[in-house]
Amino acid sequence: MTEAWTVILGLTAGTFLIRLSGVLIGQRIPQHGAWARGLRALPGCLIVSLVAVSLMAGGGQEWGAATAALAVAGLTRSLPLTMAAGIAAIWLLRHFA
Amino acid sequence: MARSRLNEAWSGAHEIAPLAVGVAIYGLAFGLLAAQAGFGTAQVGGMGALVFAGGAQIIATQQVLAGAGAVAAIVAGLVLNLRLLLVAASIRDVYAGRPWWQIPLGAHLTTDENWALMLAQRAKGRTVGFWYLAGGGACLLGVWCASTVIGAAFAHSIPDPKSLGMDFAFTAAFIAIARSLWKGRDDLLPWLTALGVVTLATHGLGLAPSWGLVLGGVAGAVMAGINGDD
Repeated sequence: MTEAWTVILGLTAGTFLIRLSGVLIGQRIPQHGAWARGLRALPGCLIVSLVAVSLMAGGGQEWGAATAALAVAGLTRSLPLTMAAGIAAIWLLRHFA
Repeated sequence: MARSRLNEAWSGAHEIAPLAVGVAIYGLAFGLLAAQAGFGTAQVGGMGALVFAGGAQIIATQQVLAGAGAVAAIVAGLVLNLRLLLVAASIRDVYAGRPWWQIPLGAHLTTDENWALMLAQRAKGRTVGFWYLAGGGACLLGVWCASTVIGAAFAHSIPDPKSLGMDFAFTAAFIAIARSLWKGRDDLLPWLTALGVVTLATHGLGLAPSWGLVLGGVAGAVMAGINGDD
């Protein structure tokens, strides 16, 4: 099936180019000043955006589970426990709420 | 030196295990989707190793399945992957001064999950870098390829991630990682800016989530750049 290979190779080339550009652009951004401050803040802002996008795609149950996950994250600072709490909360809310 | 690199890569590979479980569940689901779209086993495994971006693979394959054509499928996948440019740029010290061959290797192995995990470990005070990222990425690559191929082969007995609550695994993981990255009041304004711009872009302007994500991240960073002082 040629369409599948077209899609695979197109995504391969494009995705690699995006990743490599990110690496190369990062190297060229100034080490001090506003650009450097912005770049240091970027990871947190991206992660907040990732969470926001996925919660907006959901509804009240997702927001409820996110609150539970945030509480566990605050108490434990543990990645596996937070994941377990979030998955358990969404499962319970979907099945029983 | 070779020994400490290996140790760091091994730490990255096994500490990513909780996220790798989520990746495996999604791999099975993607295998099923790819089989429905008529992809063969070699195509599913090859796509996983070459593209190595789960969300983009899912979106592109959905487009193929919907009959949208190869170009639309590629564009949809690449728009979602634009965030990886920011992801890679944001950890520039990891790639700085590396031998030339490590740059494409590290770039290809950079994903949301191992990037975020490395940042969370750094926030805890650990000095992890290139080999931690690469070890985690290599582990995820293996898990992703294997699970997608298995999913395609056993397409009939794959559970829906949503019915298990596993669709929430990454949201919960990123909540945990955001908590680790929170350094205090200086983060408040950039983070609220990111949140506001994501809301405005997706709800207000009706843009696709892929764009909302990129715009939110950039807007928060710009706010930090303009507003902060060193």
